[in-house]
Amino acid sequence: MCEANVYISRNGQDELLMEKVDRIVPSEENSIFMENIFGERRVIKAKIKEMELVHHRIILEEIRDEPVNRHLELWLEPDTDHGHFHPGEEVRLKLYKGYNMRVDSEAGFSNLQAFLVNNGMVQEIELHEHHGMMEIHLNQNLDGLLQVYVREQGDMELYATVLVEVGHHHHHGVKPAGLPLEIMPCDYSHARLGENYEIQVLKEGRPLAGAEVKATYSSTQNRDYPHHLKTDEDGRARLFLTARGNYLFSVTDESIVSTFTLIKSF
Amino acid sequence: MCKNMPPLELAIQFHGHICPGLLMGIRAAEFAQKHLGVSQDYDEELLAVTETNSCGVDAIQAILGCTFGKGNLIFKDYGKNVYTIASREKNRAVRIAQKFKDNHDPDSMRYRQLNHQANLTEEEVTEKENLLAVIFEKIMSAPFEEIFNWQEVEFQFPEKAQIYPTVQCLICGEGVMEPRATKTEQGFICPTCIDDGGI
Repeated sequence: MCEANVYISRNGQDELLMEKVDRIVPSEENSIFMENIFGERRVIKAKIKEMELVHHRIILEEIRDEPVNRHLELWLEPDTDHGHFHPGEEVRLKLYKGYNMRVDSEAGFSNLQAFLVNNGMVQEIELHEHHGMMEIHLNQNLDGLLQVYVREQGDMELYATVLVEVGHHHHHGVKPAGLPLEIMPCDYSHARLGENYEIQVLKEGRPLAGAEVKATYSSTQNRDYPHHLKTDEDGRARLFLTARGNYLFSVTDESIVSTFTLIKSF
Repeated sequence: MCKNMPPLELAIQFHGHICPGLLMGIRAAEFAQKHLGVSQDYDEELLAVTETNSCGVDAIQAILGCTFGKGNLIFKDYGKNVYTIASREKNRAVRIAQKFKDNHDPDSMRYRQLNHQANLTEEEVTEKENLLAVIFEKIMSAPFEEIFNWQEVEFQFPEKAQIYPTVQCLICGEGVMEPRATKTEQGFICPTCIDDGGI
């Protein structure tokens, strides 16, 4: 017999992780791949603590993920499944609070304000509570590319922006809403899966170089943001879109967290 | 659907999910369209011969419109990621073969391993998702010649798919295309009833 049982050391106890392991491959990022004679495989974030070869025992020590510095953030998503609204259709947006597009059900809202920017005109709009959710309803007969943003003021200042398309074929550029920290699409056109998408980060209206922009999508299984981008000297960063559905870009600077929701039709 | 979907999205919707095999098929289908100067098939102007029945064939069907049902998708069970796309109108055909070396890409190998593994851990699910994103970008942004060989080939166009009369099976009573039925003195018998020992 040349296989070993693999144990993991947790709270001073050795728990059996896998029996009759005949292959162990340490890999990058502190993870260990193991396979046993039954063909079972497992990858675990751990390091080898001890090998008792006489007793065919290998003891691993689990490596816990470093706690992520997670500021809560706001984001907006449209209540439509095909990326845009039709003229005359009620435009509904939902406001969420959490991290990495995962809602924190215990996080409440306070001091919220919402604004609509249409053809350069800024107007404050109402937020409605609907079944415990915060929503924006734009009932006006709107058409074109609408910019909506929400602000929450507290210890941290949170902003959520979104571009909503009412009708088709709006390919023209958009102007910044003038937020203290803002993520803007560089050249608004229909964002497509399998293509690059470029954004620009502005601080007080000026490009912010060297900023970390995190990006995620609603279907991600990652606990933390799957993409971490860095803005160039012109405040720009690019992401190749590989997931269906909407994307969220997030940037933090001092006490401000600002997000931009990229709505995709697919 | 109120907007025309681009090829990539058409293929993903048809296939149901995103995977490396489908993305390779998308690249092949888009290349064929561009090289032959053709758009999606309407009524057998295009013909595809596929030497595989793996994911990539769904991209051929969705993007080029060469489908099993229309009869302009010919399947040869060779187990090779090779597609020959032919245009009747242009009287041209191009044979596109996936390069073998791509099968040894470490990311692809690890992805396949995880894809075949049951009961993935949370870390493995995340790893698989991240690997797919890397492979996705790699496949879609690689120069075509890096992942495929291609050449124009001579092509013998078969006649367009025929429509045959339907006859009734003597045993089960179901309709069957006449050339597929066995004619007896009593009447037609369908292949199902023959396989079931009906005669």
